[in-house]
Amino acid sequence: MQKICILWWEAAVTQTVVWDVSIVLMVGLGAIFTWVALGADLAAANYGAAATSAYRLRGWLFAIAVLVLIGTNYKTLGEMPYVAGSAPQSAAPVQVSEVVGQQWAWTIKPNNFVAGQTAEFHVTSKDVNHGFALYDPDFAIVAQTQAMPGYTNILRYTFTKPGTYQVLCLEYCGVMHHEMKTEIQVAGH
Amino acid sequence: MTMEATAGRSAISPRAAVILTLAVTGVVLLLMMLLGLAMRLAQAQVIDVQPDLFYVIMTMHGAGMVGVAGLSGAAVMWHFVRRHVPVSTPVFLTNLVFFLIGAVLILASGFIGGFGAGWTFLFPLPAHSGELWSANAAAAYLLGLMIIGVGFLLLHLDIARGILSVYGGLGAALGVKQAFGMAPDSSGPPPAVTASTMVLIVNILGILLGAAVLIVSLVNLYVPSFAFNALAAKNMIYFFGHVFINATIYMAVIAVYEILPIYTRRPWKTNWAFYLGWVLSTVMVLTVYTHHLLMDFAMPTWALVAGQLISWLSGLPVLFVTAFGTLTIVYHSRMKWSPDAALVFVGVAGWAIGVIPAIADGTIAVNSVMHNTQWVPGHFHTYLLLGMVAMVLGFMTYLTHPQPRYGFVWVGFWAYVIGGTVFVFAFLLAGSESVPRRYAVHVAQWLPYDRIGSVGAALAATGVLILVVRFFASARSSAMAEDPAS
Repeated sequence: MQKICILWWEAAVTQTVVWDVSIVLMVGLGAIFTWVALGADLAAANYGAAATSAYRLRGWLFAIAVLVLIGTNYKTLGEMPYVAGSAPQSAAPVQVSEVVGQQWAWTIKPNNFVAGQTAEFHVTSKDVNHGFALYDPDFAIVAQTQAMPGYTNILRYTFTKPGTYQVLCLEYCGVMHHEMKTEIQVAGH
Repeated sequence: MTMEATAGRSAISPRAAVILTLAVTGVVLLLMMLLGLAMRLAQAQVIDVQPDLFYVIMTMHGAGMVGVAGLSGAAVMWHFVRRHVPVSTPVFLTNLVFFLIGAVLILASGFIGGFGAGWTFLFPLPAHSGELWSANAAAAYLLGLMIIGVGFLLLHLDIARGILSVYGGLGAALGVKQAFGMAPDSSGPPPAVTASTMVLIVNILGILLGAAVLIVSLVNLYVPSFAFNALAAKNMIYFFGHVFINATIYMAVIAVYEILPIYTRRPWKTNWAFYLGWVLSTVMVLTVYTHHLLMDFAMPTWALVAGQLISWLSGLPVLFVTAFGTLTIVYHSRMKWSPDAALVFVGVAGWAIGVIPAIADGTIAVNSVMHNTQWVPGHFHTYLLLGMVAMVLGFMTYLTHPQPRYGFVWVGFWAYVIGGTVFVFAFLLAGSESVPRRYAVHVAQWLPYDRIGSVGAALAATGVLILVVRFFASARSSAMAEDPAS
């Protein structure tokens, strides 16, 4: 049971789970609106009583929502990516890489990493705002931070699988924004 | 004597002024939807649009949609709040004139000057064009926004004057005492006044901060040595942008409070929960904007944590006050659906449903892998296209009520709702697959989402076209009609 819970929490930040949970809630809410709309032409035997019941139901739903809010925020706020000044939790070596964005190219030194080791990207920009996003070999985002002029954002990520990763710009930065990409290599252990 | 009469007269009646504004809304909305469709078709590789033009279109689409949302939302708010407080028709029309002047400048900056820095003009991008646009083109855009902002500021100040003259204070007009049980519910202000008060509080602050960062950006265009902190500018831009676009929904929702009771023959219940929801929303709309900066690691961590927490909390009033109130008032009410009631009902549904992906994106752990993907336009189009715009279309239909031959209008309604739903889910699905937003050129594996989204966009635009054409068919006679409020 504990293992299942851990797996669920680990999966909670993946895009697939976000999509699944969102779609269920969105469709569910849409179904409630549809159900009420379809029954709008019916007559309530006693609107006052129905309204009282509805407000009682609202109280329960509100309580459930608050519990979900507290639980989800408690868990997710423990997984924040802000690491400036903190030591890596893993004992594995840290690979530091300097990243500079400039219309419309990335400079990443060094750009070779080892899976299982923690990479620490020091990300900045020479001109405008850019978005430093790591895409894994399956072309899914695994981590990102903004590249800002005048600031260095530290992004720490432990590559879990070897292969060719792509770096895309995710903050609109001008006419060649979509071409601002490069590759980094991640070797196996 | 009407409230209007106490605040001076205009050559054009208040009702005609509102309908004129909605006519401009209809035209701009359709044009901007066509620009949006063009972008989706270009991404789908159905039509060929060069990247420089794509980003101009993107900038115009964003600025135009935000502007017209503000304009139409203000029309809804002004139409209903003037039943309770004195407001000036000349000031309302001044806002329209300022909007049109600003719109001309913005369109010229893009389609003549080639300005394409995105509607958020993220500092210092306007001054870093890569030789694609001049400083003058960027200045035209920024000035255009500034002029539109001045018009809105005047309108909000006039409504504030009217509210203060009747209620004596913003707290009383917001229903603060009722919210905290210090006065009976029955003594509270009407919903239109409460909502308008919330909107003017947040929007006046938002517009002022927006004006400040516009001035900074303007100076930077011509004096590059004038340095300004990029993170501070980003905070100001997102504060202004978030507040302004959110306020459009809070303006438009007044149409729900006013139109649904007509058809359900039930009053909109304004109890302590209603007032508390609006008081809390006032605070949260002002403070939640940091969820736009969750990937700016240089921000203070407490501000980003607050951004997440307030994102979650701000969904509660929407879901448990407005959405629940809408469901309750409609439930078994023996109402017969007409297009205006159906549209405002859909508007609440779109708003409430859009809260879910918005909260997801406001969660730091999720934002790390979904920020600036198509999940973002997916969620905001859900509560804007299917929420705010639906409320405005409902208001347009309500004001220009057709004879009860609704057949063609229902075709437009369903095309809009079904097309809009397909359109937003294509965005959301693409976002969950890491497809970036704001890319002129898409790789092959992203094309299916673009093509599905294009079909949805075309269908939604067709539906809106039908609804807007019907509005124009009745607009002239409706503008001459006697306003029940007068």
